[in-house]
Amino acid sequence: MNIYILVALILFSVMAVFLRDLLKSAICLAVASIFLAVMFFRMGATYAGVFEVSVVAGLITVLFITVIALTNDDAKVPENKWPIIIFPVALAIFIIFDIWFMNKFIILPSKALPLLAQGEKFGDVLWGQRTFDLLGQIGVIFAGVFGVFAFFRRKTDE
Amino acid sequence: MVILFIILPLIIAGLLPLLGKVSKKVLPDFLANAVFALLLGYSFNFAWNASAGKTILSQVNLAGIPLGITLRLDALSLLMLFTIALVSLGVGIFSVNYINQEKYSSKPIYYSLLLLTVAGMNGIVLSNDLFGIYVFLEIAAIASYALAAYGLGKEELEGSFKYLMLSVVATSFILLGISMIFALTGTVELNGIASVLAYSKAIKIKYLIGICSALFIMGFGLKSAIVPFHSWMPDAYSKAPATLPAMSSGIMVKAAGLYVLIRLFYNVFGITPAVQTVLMYLGVISIVVGALLALGQNNLQRLLAYSSISQIGYMVVGFAIGTPLGFIGALFHMFNHGIFKSLLFLNSGSIENATGTRELDELGGLAKKMPVTAGTNIVASLATAGVPPLNGFWSKLIIIIALVQAKFYIFALIGILASVVTLWYFLIIQRRAFFGKLNETWKDVKEAPFWMSLSSIMLALICIILGIAFPWFIRLWIEPAANVLVAGIIR
Repeated sequence: MNIYILVALILFSVMAVFLRDLLKSAICLAVASIFLAVMFFRMGATYAGVFEVSVVAGLITVLFITVIALTNDDAKVPENKWPIIIFPVALAIFIIFDIWFMNKFIILPSKALPLLAQGEKFGDVLWGQRTFDLLGQIGVIFAGVFGVFAFFRRKTDE
Repeated sequence: MVILFIILPLIIAGLLPLLGKVSKKVLPDFLANAVFALLLGYSFNFAWNASAGKTILSQVNLAGIPLGITLRLDALSLLMLFTIALVSLGVGIFSVNYINQEKYSSKPIYYSLLLLTVAGMNGIVLSNDLFGIYVFLEIAAIASYALAAYGLGKEELEGSFKYLMLSVVATSFILLGISMIFALTGTVELNGIASVLAYSKAIKIKYLIGICSALFIMGFGLKSAIVPFHSWMPDAYSKAPATLPAMSSGIMVKAAGLYVLIRLFYNVFGITPAVQTVLMYLGVISIVVGALLALGQNNLQRLLAYSSISQIGYMVVGFAIGTPLGFIGALFHMFNHGIFKSLLFLNSGSIENATGTRELDELGGLAKKMPVTAGTNIVASLATAGVPPLNGFWSKLIIIIALVQAKFYIFALIGILASVVTLWYFLIIQRRAFFGKLNETWKDVKEAPFWMSLSSIMLALICIILGIAFPWFIRLWIEPAANVLVAGIIR
C-alpha cells in the first residue's frame, strides 16, 4: 500500500511543478501533502501527519489561493526552459541517492518513531515534547501572512 | 525567563498590524524600537552569569505545567543575542525615517516582519534542538524574503526570488542532514546527539556523520554566503531596502549560518581535521573572491555584499583554526562586522534616501551636503579594512596572529593582502561618493533625517569605543563565548 501512496505523492508533486495553471498547481500540491500525511500516519508519525494536513494542505493552500486570486492574471511572464530540463534530472538523482545511499546507511533503529505506539497520546507528544515546534509554527504562519500582506499592500491601499 | 527573547518579538509582531490601525506610524515606531531596546537590556541581565561560564538550560512552564521547550543560554548564545538586539536597535531607529518613503509604505507590516526576523534569529540561537533550529530558521528566512522585496520593484522581486530559491536549496540540504542525524541517533536534541555520538565507535556512523557534515556545510554555507555558495547575496541586497542587508549581512547570515555551523561542529559532532581543512579553504577563498569582486562594483549595496562575503571569510578562517585565540578573533570579528557592516548598509540607505540612487558613478562630493553620513561612513570603512585603532583592526589582528601561531603563514599573508584590497575599495567608495567636486545634480541634497543620523552616529561610536576599550569587551563577552567552543562536546 505504501508504495502506491508514494507513487501518488511523487506524481502530484511533479504535476505541481509542471502545471502551468497556478491554481491547479496549488491544488496538486495540497493533494500531494495529503498523501504525505497519510504516509506519516501509516508510519506512526501521527503528529507530523496532523501538521502536514493542517499547515501544508490547509493553511498554505489557502495562502496560495489568496495570492493567486490577488495576482493580476493578465501579466505574461516569460518562462525559463531550464527547470523543465533540470527538474527531472534532479528528481532522478535524488531517487537514486535515496534508494542506493540512504537505505544502505541507516543502521540504527530510530528511538523516537515508536513513541506513539508505546501508548503516548498525540497531545502529550505535542504539548509535552514538541511545544517549541508549535511556537515556531505560529511564527512561520505570521511570517507567511505578513509576507503576503507586504507583497500586496499597494493593491490593498489603492 | 529566557523564552522572552523569542516570545516578546513574536507577540508584538502579531499585534502590530492591529495596533497599526490606531496609529499608522508613531506607535509601530515606538513599539518595535522599545522591543529591540528591551531585548538589548535583557541580554545584559545575563552577562555576568555567562561571563562566569554558567550555562542556563531553561525549561519553560505554563501555569506550573512544564512545556516541551528547553532553551540553552550560554556565553556563545548570549553574545549572539546581544549582537542581534544591538543591530536590530540600530536598524529600528534608522527605519523611523527611512520607511517613510513612498515605496516603503505600511510601517506596521514592515516592523512585524523585522520583529519576526529577530524572533527567528533568537530562536535559532537559543534552541537546544536541531529541528527547532530549522523551524526558527524558516521564520527568519520567510520574513526576510518579504523584506528583500519590500519596495516591490522588478529588480527587488527578482533578487528576493533568487534569495528564496537558493535558500530552499539550503534548507533541503539542512533537512536531509537533520533527518539523517535523527535516523542515526534517535534524537534531535543537541546534547542528546552529542552523547549518542560520543559513545558510538562504529566506522559507519563516523562515515555517515561525515556526509551530514558535508550537507550542513552546504546548507549553512549557503545561508552564510560562503564562496562558492554566495551568489544570492549581491542580487538580494543590491535593490532591497537598506535595512534588510543591514540586518541580514549584519547578523542574520551569522545567526542562521555560521553560528549553527560552529555550534554543531565544535559542541555536537566534534570537529575533525578534514572539516577544519575544508572550512579553512572555503574561508580563504571567500576572503579573496569577495574582496576582488567588490573592486569592480558600481552599485553601493552590491559592493558591500561582496565585502561581506570577504569578511565572513575571515570569521570562517578564525573558527577553522580551532585554537582559543582563533575563536576569540572570529567571534570578535563577528560582532564587529555586525556593527560596521550594518552602518555601511544604513549609510547607503541614507545616500539613496537623499539622492534616489545607489550607483557610485552618479554620486560625488556628498560630504559637503551630508557630513554626518560621510563621517560615519569613513569610520565604518576604516574599521572594515582593519585600520587602527578601530574595532575591526583588533579582531583582524587577532585572527592573523592566530593563523601565524598555528603556522598557517600563507593564509595569514593572504588575510593581510585582502585587507589592503578592502581598504582600496572603501577608499574608492569615499572618493566617488563623498569627496571630490559636488555633482551639480545633488546641490539641493540635505543630510539624512534625525533618526537615520542618530542610528549611524550610535553605530560609529561603538566602532570607535570598542577600538579603545576592546580588552574589556573581550574579557566580558568574547572570551566566555570562546570558552564554550574550547570546552568542546556538550553534555
